[in-house]
Amino acid sequence: MLKMTHLSKSFRTEVVETYALRDFSIHVRPGEFVAVTGPSGSGKTTFLNIAGLLETSTGGTYELDGEDVSKLGDDARSRIRNGKIGFIFQAFNLIPDLNVYDNVDVPLRYRRMPGAERKKRIGEVLERVGLSARMRHYPAELSGGQQQRVAIARALAGSPKLLLADEPTGNLDSQMARAVMQLLEDIHRDGATIVMVTHDPELAARAQRNVHVIDGQVVDLGEAPTLRMNAQAMG
Amino acid sequence: MHILPILHALRRHRLTSLLLVAEIALACAVLCNAGALIAARWTALRVDSGVDEASLAAIRLQGFDADDAGDINARVLQTVRAVAGVQSISIINTVPFGPTVANAGITTDADGRHFAGVVDFYVGAPGSFEALGLHVVAGRAPTADDAQPVHAFVPDEASVQIPRVLARHLWPGEDPLGKTFWVGKRRFHVVGVLDHLSVPGPGGGEEKDADWSVFVTGVPGPQFAGSYLLRAAPDALPRVLSASLAALRQAMPDVVIDEPYSRPLTELRQAYFEKDRFMAGLLLGVMAALLMVTALGIVGLASFWVQQRTRSIGVRRAIGATRRDILRYFQIENFIIVGAGVTLGLGLAVALNLALMQVYELQRLPWVYLPPTGLGLLLLGQLSVLAPAARAAQVSPATATRSI
Ligand SMILES: Nc1ncnc2c1ncn2[C@@H]1O[C@H](COP(=O)(O)OP(=O)(O)OP(=O)(O)O)[C@@H](O)[C@H]1O
Ligand SMILES: [Mg+2]
Repeated sequence: MLKMTHLSKSFRTEVVETYALRDFSIHVRPGEFVAVTGPSGSGKTTFLNIAGLLETSTGGTYELDGEDVSKLGDDARSRIRNGKIGFIFQAFNLIPDLNVYDNVDVPLRYRRMPGAERKKRIGEVLERVGLSARMRHYPAELSGGQQQRVAIARALAGSPKLLLADEPTGNLDSQMARAVMQLLEDIHRDGATIVMVTHDPELAARAQRNVHVIDGQVVDLGEAPTLRMNAQAMG
Repeated sequence: MHILPILHALRRHRLTSLLLVAEIALACAVLCNAGALIAARWTALRVDSGVDEASLAAIRLQGFDADDAGDINARVLQTVRAVAGVQSISIINTVPFGPTVANAGITTDADGRHFAGVVDFYVGAPGSFEALGLHVVAGRAPTADDAQPVHAFVPDEASVQIPRVLARHLWPGEDPLGKTFWVGKRRFHVVGVLDHLSVPGPGGGEEKDADWSVFVTGVPGPQFAGSYLLRAAPDALPRVLSASLAALRQAMPDVVIDEPYSRPLTELRQAYFEKDRFMAGLLLGVMAALLMVTALGIVGLASFWVQQRTRSIGVRRAIGATRRDILRYFQIENFIIVGAGVTLGLGLAVALNLALMQVYELQRLPWVYLPPTGLGLLLLGQLSVLAPAARAAQVSPATATRSI
């Protein structure tokens, strides 16, 4: 599904060139739920941005869904973001001027999807995140957990092959965080591939696989069976 | 295609949007009316006097005794004829862009029941018609036999030439030749139709044509003296005129020359339309300022919104908007706002015109000014929003994850 080989990303300011990612290789198979952990500044967001085609790498190759996407132009990248990727952000990132319904509608419109189909899908995903009753609410009228569920609905609406989440529970209290995590697990059970960046070891433990990033490089911790068992014992 | 969600989003910025809509509506209304006013002045400025302006100059005297009139006419003609370069000098009561000296209401019947409007009378001595260079399109030019003595500005009865516009007004669809019109008991028979001959003061804004004038041939006398028509080659005219005026001052130190009216016709025309040109310039300035303020308003608000929505734009990009989609968003948004402003503005333009018509002598606003003004404003809006929209399109999709 997602395959990065010897990927590098450097940011060049006037004087220094800092490497956010170095010789970064990772392979995420279809249907996997991968949690990415690591200290602050280690390159987790950078990895997710490149994986989601929000930024370009400065070296190495990136294959998404069997297609080399490292050399694509801006329009093609936009189209792939729209068609294959669903984003969930730490700050929810709903559009404040649009109500819940219109927010979920945004990516579908960019896909030029016919109106009837859009309506059907929006109804379905809002049902799924349990917010059908809030369609006409504006983001400011919702709790953080509700906002994040709208954001998840928006990410799901286009039936993406890959869900990318950057600390999706980072701005939520533990109760709301659990609900959001539960939702992601349900989505994963239905077959979605999920890559989630998190600081929370408990959440990371609930993923199938943990990837630890330090200084822009991957330290694969494998299947983490013990942590997973612990999490189940606690859950 | 994104009109509906853009409208929904605009609802959240109702006040700001409405302010801009109001500004554009106001600009639209003022632009339409100012444009129409300028166009009206421009048409007035370009009026065809029907005479050879480039070859003609007027000479007017004042402060002479009516008893000396006959003597004065003879002395002026004799003096000016002697000046080198003079092609002709003749007596005429006034010229286009000169003073209005003889206008009167006319009727198309002897009993004075069918009032047909107020016309200006040109009274010219034999030779003046040819000097003016008037074009006869039907009937005939005056002959020396047509000349009638002048009592109180015009003869009591005379054969006259009138422009075709006046002929059509007086007798629509009929042959004007042989027709008669009256000023009280005075009778005038139409023997010739002219291409054009404008009144001395055309374009006053009244409901009458510039060509509502009559040419009458008169015999110089006490009531018909002191105003002359000088003809010379166009390039020699200024020199010939000043030489003639100098000769007159020397030969007739007792008379006073009316300087403002003793000038080439091109200068009289220039002076006559001075105020119109000034007004047109002023209106153009107002229009330019208004357009600029409107454009700046659009640029300002669009820039503000782009800045304010940077994060949303990044999010849109992250979830699949192309740069073009973002550009479109701002263009469509601008189109909605300016479109609303223009729609409102066109209605306002008509209302403003009706209000102005109550206060000033003004024509009804011709509807042809509305579409170009509306389209022009829409275009201005799109041009103004281009730079802010292009900036929005450059917002990186990574903005969605990078800035908190
Ligand atoms: N636009 C940029 N310009 C320069 N350096 C950058 C830029 N974006 C990120 N970096 C640097 O790249 C490195 C990795 O940043 P990144 O945001 O990926 O870290 P992170 O693991 O997500 O951290 P956190 O857990 O705090 O979110 C950091 O050293 C950061 O300073
Ligand atoms: Mg981060």
